[in-house]
Amino acid sequence: MDAGQLAVIAGPNGSGKTTLLQALSGLSLLASGSRIYQGSSELSLWLKESHYLGHKLGNKGNLSCFENLQFVAQVNETSVTSSAISAVLEKAGLAGYEYQHANDLSAGQKKRLALSRLLLLNKIYWLLDEPFVNLDYAGCDWLYEIIEKHISQGGSVILTAHDQKKIHELAHHHITLEFPEEVHES
Amino acid sequence: MRFGALVKRDVLVSWRKKSNIYQPLVFQLLIVTMFPLGLGAGAQTLAKIAPAVVWILALLSTLITLENIFKDDYEDGSLDVYVLSGMSLPLAAFSKATAHWLTTGIPVMLFAPVIGVLMHLPEQSYGVLLLSLLLATPIFSLLGTVGSALIVNIKNGGMLLSVLIMPLLSPVLIFGAGAVLETTLGNSALGHLLLLLGCAVLALTLAPLAAAAAIKVNLE
Amino acid sequence: MNRLLKFYHELGSPPSFYRITSHWLKPMLILAIIFTLYGLIDGLFFAPEDYQQGDSYRIIFVHVPAAWMSMFIYAIVGISGIMAFVWRMKVAEAVMMASVPIGAIFTTITLLTGMLWGKPMWGTYWDWDARMTSELILLFLYIGVMGIYSAYDEDPRKAARLAALVAIIGLINLPIIRYSVYWWTSIHQGSSVSLMGESGIKDWAMLRPLLVMALATKFYYIHSMLCRAQSHLLKTEQDKNWVKLALTGERKDKTQGGNL
Repeated sequence: MDAGQLAVIAGPNGSGKTTLLQALSGLSLLASGSRIYQGSSELSLWLKESHYLGHKLGNKGNLSCFENLQFVAQVNETSVTSSAISAVLEKAGLAGYEYQHANDLSAGQKKRLALSRLLLLNKIYWLLDEPFVNLDYAGCDWLYEIIEKHISQGGSVILTAHDQKKIHELAHHHITLEFPEEVHES
Repeated sequence: MRFGALVKRDVLVSWRKKSNIYQPLVFQLLIVTMFPLGLGAGAQTLAKIAPAVVWILALLSTLITLENIFKDDYEDGSLDVYVLSGMSLPLAAFSKATAHWLTTGIPVMLFAPVIGVLMHLPEQSYGVLLLSLLLATPIFSLLGTVGSALIVNIKNGGMLLSVLIMPLLSPVLIFGAGAVLETTLGNSALGHLLLLLGCAVLALTLAPLAAAAAIKVNLE
Repeated sequence: MNRLLKFYHELGSPPSFYRITSHWLKPMLILAIIFTLYGLIDGLFFAPEDYQQGDSYRIIFVHVPAAWMSMFIYAIVGISGIMAFVWRMKVAEAVMMASVPIGAIFTTITLLTGMLWGKPMWGTYWDWDARMTSELILLFLYIGVMGIYSAYDEDPRKAARLAALVAIIGLINLPIIRYSVYWWTSIHQGSSVSLMGESGIKDWAMLRPLLVMALATKFYYIHSMLCRAQSHLLKTEQDKNWVKLALTGERKDKTQGGNL
């Protein structure tokens, strides 16, 4: 896959979309480490440039939005100022919620908080498992926008989606998984 | 920096959810009340078993907290966040153990003298009691990360965790409770404490590796 | 040497492991039966009475071999656990998981016969002496390996890798546990009762049935472990072609069918 491209993985339930994405993220292959990225099977290199967002959002419920993002930045060894974190939250439509605990957000807002990690970390590859679920129209539009912007800046996005015509129009690659042929990562 | 970030986050999470911190202490109080009720309240009777009771309560009250070391993070997905951040897994396990020690190990250690008083533990034993728990509570936390990593996606894994961890902790109990017992008899506890120190060093070197291995298998 | 290496590699692949070991099952079972019968008859009727313990010492012909096996099998569990974890060998997983229940049974037999022996000897069924205590902890280690394996029943390979990890951790800890328990009894109970007595067994007529029974338990273990390992492999590899071939082939050849 080249820089600046979007791949959409589609397929019915149970066809292995999540498995494929997890394998790509490095979660499933942590132990064996048999992935090749830029000619190197070194996992850490890939982890440095990719970010995976799965069904489980990864927000800590009793930390505020600000603290959640601050932790993500620190654990990724990305130095960001607190005004940068606030700016990211504002872009994600969470302005004014900086000190709200993640537990107190609505489902859509939680999703936005998780997605805002993408803006915070500036990684090249985004791996998104069903990113549109739980988002309202405005949220979906916002997500299209940031994906489009990311691609135009040379980033790459791989995502799974059920029924999003608009994202398919945007996509460069369509990967359709059919039911009997489950994806076996080996 | 990653270490600090994870420890800080965990301490903050526990601090906000205070039950994490006080539950083990309440548990100790509840159980220690059972001893005079079941055994008779004679000071001498209680004093005789005090070293063992204080130590076993510290152990058991820590044990009930171990399951969640990795489980909460696994369930809300934040485990993925720091595992995929490129942080080395043994370091992540060590950070989790450190945070657990700060939020559970230290309170349990500081609360042990209270249980000692209730059990009529002789005065000369408190120094060694604190010292032995200072060496042992990190072992609880370190082995706890291993156990918690093993059962991270098992429902109701608490019982299994006990089965896995208790045999490993039996030497710690022997050396630790033994140290306190020696002081009640007026002997030196140095030998016991040194052996406990040895266990702590061993746990410090091996437990993060074992926990990392278990996490890897579980995320596959 | 080369042939040995080749043999080892062959044993590492499930189909050839299955094929090769199928020939071993019967001889091992026959040897186990013969040795057990000989050992028990020799031990119970021909070995001389102990001058202190009378006839009750004869339980050692079961107790001691079982105790040896309980530790020997844990060593095998640990070593095959290392092979299963590091090299992800399916055969090592099968050998490990097949050995665990047998080891647990031998540990239980050791504890029970120890208790039965304890009653006439010490006047109590249970004494927290070093051997019995560490044997009990060994039983907990076995239970832990079995527990983690059965908890992950939806994914047997993941379960086996985690069980292997638990077995390895146990293997590292076993010496520490044993040392600490022996040290603990040496402090708390100066006069721990030793089952074997200080003198040990010197008479050849007593030693002979003991050694025969030790061999009998080994043969039994090999037989039982291979049966279990084979069925473990058949179950985990059930989608593979060799399993179908092996099972349909066996139906034609009835001599093998009874062993599964």
